[in-house]
Amino acid sequence: MNADIELDDWRQQWQAETAIPLELRAKVEKQSRWMKIGLAADVVVTVVFGGGTIAWASRSPHPDVVLLTLATWSFLVAAWAFALAVHRHNWAPSAENTVTFLDLSIRRCRARLASVWFGAGLCISELVFYLGWINYHDSIRQQPLGTFLSSVPEVWIAALAACAGLLWYRRRKAAELRNLLEMRSELNS
Amino acid sequence: MATDAAVADAGPTKILDRAILEQRFDGLLAANGPSLTRLAASYTNSTSDRDDLLQEIGMAIWKALPQFRGECSERTFLFRIAHNRAIAFLSRSKQEIPALDVEVEIPDAGPTPESGLARAQVAGQLKRAVQQLPIMYRQVAILTLEGLGYSEIAEVLGISESNVGVRMTRARKLLRASLEKQR
Repeated sequence: MNADIELDDWRQQWQAETAIPLELRAKVEKQSRWMKIGLAADVVVTVVFGGGTIAWASRSPHPDVVLLTLATWSFLVAAWAFALAVHRHNWAPSAENTVTFLDLSIRRCRARLASVWFGAGLCISELVFYLGWINYHDSIRQQPLGTFLSSVPEVWIAALAACAGLLWYRRRKAAELRNLLEMRSELNS
Repeated sequence: MATDAAVADAGPTKILDRAILEQRFDGLLAANGPSLTRLAASYTNSTSDRDDLLQEIGMAIWKALPQFRGECSERTFLFRIAHNRAIAFLSRSKQEIPALDVEVEIPDAGPTPESGLARAQVAGQLKRAVQQLPIMYRQVAILTLEGLGYSEIAEVLGISESNVGVRMTRARKLLRASLEKQR
């Protein structure tokens, strides 16, 4: 390649490098803020529930509280392992250019979509375990299963609301992913 | 930078001077903001470090601006300050960007078909390649890519034009090799 053409080409690439669309930059920065808030919330949940169950198990004479603690920590570990795996390399853009920002947004969007399914699975597992555990506790007081399940309508309402919320969130993220992929294909064309 | 109280104590001429200075400063930053951002990004590894460096550069320009009497172009003045701040920042923060092996084979840089995405990817590769250059070549490469001529670069860095030429020739060879390696 002719030296001056090469240099002009590099100059163009160099000077176009920071031309990241403002909306895309703002979106990525907003996502980063929410990821940090989410991480802080995860830490709080771990400390409150993980620490709380350990404190309870250390004082309670009932062996089933130990089971509750073990299960709670299993759920926490699973959630942390998933979160760390899915957000790996998603914390910050590796370079200051449009493609990197766009790719990061796409990866984050896919991670959110994966989180919806994982979150739903984890919620169902937790619901089954905790209701079973509470029922076991209550069965000591001779409460039949049917009576117990019908005595907690707020749990079912909350579960339905959570399902509706997850479905809405999933649709929103799927639409966002479609837009981002379209943007990338436009950039590619 | 003077405080509001200090400004209030100053006479009307000083307030006017300060207003003119602020206008000049804002104009300089507006005209050269993208260049300074790219320069800062070339010396740092993260956006937070880049923003810190940019802030330091801005402060240094603000402090130096009243003493600027047009001995050189504003661009030269700006880049000289920016480079000095960048070097000071590097020595303080000990940023570790692996330097290229200076003794590299130079492959032929043939033309490649480029789509929009490929072009943007190449821009990212170019930035990485520049970041990996040893400081003496990086300085010259950044200023050349920003469109400064050899005489301006010589003024900014305080070296001779022929030295700029020698360093740029070396920087280009290293950049070509690095870009080839990344593809």
